[in-house]
Amino acid sequence: MRRFDYHRAETLEHASRLLAELGDDTFLFNGGTDLLVEIRERLRRVRNVVDIKQIPGLSDITYDETRGLTFGALVTVGRLERLPLVCQRYPNLRAAFASLGSIQVRNRATVVGNICRASPSADTIPPLVADGAFVHIYSRTNMRVVPIAEFFTGPGRTVLAKGEIVTGITVPPAGDTAGKAYIKHGRRKAMELSTVGVAVSLSMEEGVCCDIRIALGAVGATVLRAPQAEAMLRGTRLDASAVRSAADKAMEECTPISNVRASADYRRDMVGVLTGRAIKQALETFA
Amino acid sequence: MNMTTPIEPREFKIVGKSVKRDDVLEKVTGEAQYTGDIKLPGMLHGKIKRAAIAHARIKSIDVSKALAYPGVKAVLTHETVPRVLHYGSPHPRSASCTKDQYILDDKVRFWGEGVAAVAAISEEIADEALDLIEVEYEALPAVFEPEDAAQPGAPLIHDVGPGGNLVLDPVRVNRGDVDKGFAEADFVLEGTFAGGRPHPAYMEPNVCVADWDGSNKLTFWTSTQTSFMVRGILAEVLGLPLTKVRVLVDHMGGGFGAKQDLFQHEFLCALLAKETRRPVKMEFTRHETFVAGRSRHPCKIWLKQGFKNDGTLVARDMKLVYDSGAYGSHGPGVTIVGTTAATSLYRCENVRLEGRCVYTNTPINGAFRGYGVVQSYYALDIQMDEAAERLGMDPAELKLKNVVRAGDIAPSGHPIIGHGLEICLQHGIDVLDWKALWNRDRTPDPKRPHIRTGWGIGCEMHGSSAYPGIKEQGNATVKVNEDGTVTLLTGAAGLGTGAHTALAQIVAEELGVRFEDVGVIHGDTDVVPWDIGAFASHTTYLVGTAAKMAAGKVRAAVLARAAMKLQVAPEEIDLSEGKVFLIAEPDRCMTVSEAMGPSRGIPAANIVANGTYEPTKSYSFAAHFTEVDVDTETGLVEVKRVVPVHDVGRVIHPIAAQGQIEGGIQQGIGHTLTEDYVIDKKTGRSLNAGLVDYKMPLSMDMPDIETIILEAAPDPGGPWGAKGVGEDPIIAIGPSIANAIHDAIGVRFHHYPITPEDILKALREKGA
Repeated sequence: MRRFDYHRAETLEHASRLLAELGDDTFLFNGGTDLLVEIRERLRRVRNVVDIKQIPGLSDITYDETRGLTFGALVTVGRLERLPLVCQRYPNLRAAFASLGSIQVRNRATVVGNICRASPSADTIPPLVADGAFVHIYSRTNMRVVPIAEFFTGPGRTVLAKGEIVTGITVPPAGDTAGKAYIKHGRRKAMELSTVGVAVSLSMEEGVCCDIRIALGAVGATVLRAPQAEAMLRGTRLDASAVRSAADKAMEECTPISNVRASADYRRDMVGVLTGRAIKQALETFA
Repeated sequence: MNMTTPIEPREFKIVGKSVKRDDVLEKVTGEAQYTGDIKLPGMLHGKIKRAAIAHARIKSIDVSKALAYPGVKAVLTHETVPRVLHYGSPHPRSASCTKDQYILDDKVRFWGEGVAAVAAISEEIADEALDLIEVEYEALPAVFEPEDAAQPGAPLIHDVGPGGNLVLDPVRVNRGDVDKGFAEADFVLEGTFAGGRPHPAYMEPNVCVADWDGSNKLTFWTSTQTSFMVRGILAEVLGLPLTKVRVLVDHMGGGFGAKQDLFQHEFLCALLAKETRRPVKMEFTRHETFVAGRSRHPCKIWLKQGFKNDGTLVARDMKLVYDSGAYGSHGPGVTIVGTTAATSLYRCENVRLEGRCVYTNTPINGAFRGYGVVQSYYALDIQMDEAAERLGMDPAELKLKNVVRAGDIAPSGHPIIGHGLEICLQHGIDVLDWKALWNRDRTPDPKRPHIRTGWGIGCEMHGSSAYPGIKEQGNATVKVNEDGTVTLLTGAAGLGTGAHTALAQIVAEELGVRFEDVGVIHGDTDVVPWDIGAFASHTTYLVGTAAKMAAGKVRAAVLARAAMKLQVAPEEIDLSEGKVFLIAEPDRCMTVSEAMGPSRGIPAANIVANGTYEPTKSYSFAAHFTEVDVDTETGLVEVKRVVPVHDVGRVIHPIAAQGQIEGGIQQGIGHTLTEDYVIDKKTGRSLNAGLVDYKMPLSMDMPDIETIILEAAPDPGGPWGAKGVGEDPIIAIGPSIANAIHDAIGVRFHHYPITPEDILKALREKGA
């Protein structure tokens, strides 16, 4: 493993200052499940890590019916996965959390870390995008809140400026008419990176779809929405033919690449299959 | 031992029982010492600079910056190491290896080959110093596919060998009259088959530690299956007598065959330690276990067989081409074993086989569980299923008709003892009610219309021991201590299979002492008797017999001593569970401890005996019955249930045998569906040399496995009829999955791995 210097931040201000002062090749160290592997595998050049795990106030989980679910940057995937509220109200998040890495990884990795890594195949991102989550960002001069769909600018890249730190995420409340699903597609049942991931969050009124968001993972430079497919479904009863047409449209809207995991054509095919299945599954969650 | 020696009937006290393994406590508590745990005072860390080019001459290599880097103690290149042409896999007295390697050469033959080595005070510094070594290459045209490498005029990868990038002269086997057989056939099936490049991915990456003492003696700890071969070749290449090389191996995290080569890093570690006069450790990263380790030979097979309408096989014509990668390693052995294996499995009197092994500019392929036979039996078994389809027969019925029988000539050239395969097949057919299963209603479940279910059968046979390719020898030394405990000395490596437990069971059973009273000393070439290495599914069969022989001699000596003390004739007494007793009067007894210990002026006894066994070969058999679900929309195949029926002769430790079978199935599911080490065919670069994108099935992916072990065909060559089990399970599972996929979706696949994309593409072509 290549050598690096370790710094422990006591406060957000301290961490932010370290990030600014230590220069390039300085990274926040949270769960470390990606960062340490990347250092070891020489995928990322790292001179300094800034450990934020001791900063107070970043480990809370709260829920209320108006704001929704808010959790801090230090909340692990495993803790959220086991939270009864998540299991009951956010089956899409629950599916994404439960499919990330292994139990050991999930007990260390954080959701905020997963989104900041900004991998197009990250499991937690599609359901958060489909749910319209918000990202809370700290800097020494101001705080800002960014819709998660606008948070990513490319593979591994986000809107975070130097010295900015994500402190938490808010997911809007899950209404009684909301159906949610996330389907991860890979070759294995655990310890797997998605070949394709599809999240659907929708709401129905009197049998008619009044809103739907489809988020596609691992088929573009960032997690993508499928706005045309969504538009085709709003106002419909989500019958089989409407779903099939929308799934075909989602296949057109994605921009996959070919690599050793799968070809672009296969990924596109899976967007079609999984979009249909995710809509069906979302409908079942509140049926 | 005479192959026709009858197997003695007896009641077993220890053999056949799943006794607690001797290494369990150490392993679960983390106390077990692996080579990677070794820390010596002043120890340095070695790293290897690897080429980022597939075929090149080294024009120049500048190590001055690396040598000047603080903490670096030595750098070695082809200019500074001994230039000795050596075997990659030095099996003694064997035709199955090739002398084509140098420790470091001025030529690079695959992307990832080592070109220099650094020793430094920390692993990090050694790693950083690698970047400071400047190598100037003259690129050479490279070949990545055996077809290209075998073309006339293709760039030659080696100067040695038969030429034309062949690793060895083609292996040819002819029996009967193949042309006549085809002329008499009612129909002929012909097909091409292709196997990928699965990698064993053992848990413990290759690692070694070298330490020279003041008398110029090398002590060498290394994770190897073949410590005496490591000793022999290290001594030869370094110009040392065997008294000056001591090889040690304690616990190992697997090997699966791949850890029986002599690796570049092993020589370099010894040389760096010599140069610096300090101990040096070298440990592969996971990436290095791929690029510098050994994988299974990719193989292309052309197979043509003639059948009668009653299902009788009348002709078999087969050509196999194995891809050796950049060096010979086990290429010759794999080619010989994999090719000759095709004389058998399904009976056919007229057989014509040709096996080739070709160098390519890709990472080295070597020994890996199933040794060439995984490839050839995949083709044979799938084509047998195709014949059944053509005949409108149940494949179980056709396989049952054609499987090898007792007395048939085995690939080794010997008549087969026992009748194991037919019994395995029949047993599976009975327990599963296969006929009903095969004739079931195949209408998809309306709740899951996109899922199709299928069942398939795969058959295999595999030899215990590498005879006749290698004339093998097993050795054991057994000592009885004065307190009645017993020490077994063996050179057999413990890869994690429980081999030492099985050997201790055999000694305890034969000698008549408790299992707990037998200690095993292993893995020190200065102490234990010579050993050929742990491979070819032969440890229990070969070393087990040697241990039994030594224990038998010791038993006789203990009885003689006890008879003297009891003042009776040795024939009047027996020995069981650590007690010597009068047969006619069992209450008159003494413990082995009392028999051995000093008493009334008689000093303690020193009883030691050796057993040496030179076997021929036995065959184990298996039929796997496998159920799969195929998702026709995503192409994902899920193995749902496997019923493996194995005949392994006498079972020494049932849980260990079952573990071997389950593990082999897991690896076999991997290479059939998900595992393939992919080399970029434009550059020779590895595309998935790591566990992120090299997809091994994990525990969550495992199906229900209902292992059935039969003791139907014991072989008199093994202890109480025991045969090997290590390699068998990985061979039968592959074709059983491919055949099950055909049953599910009506598409034949002739290659592995069968990917979801392959499934969707084939379904589309079928639908079109």
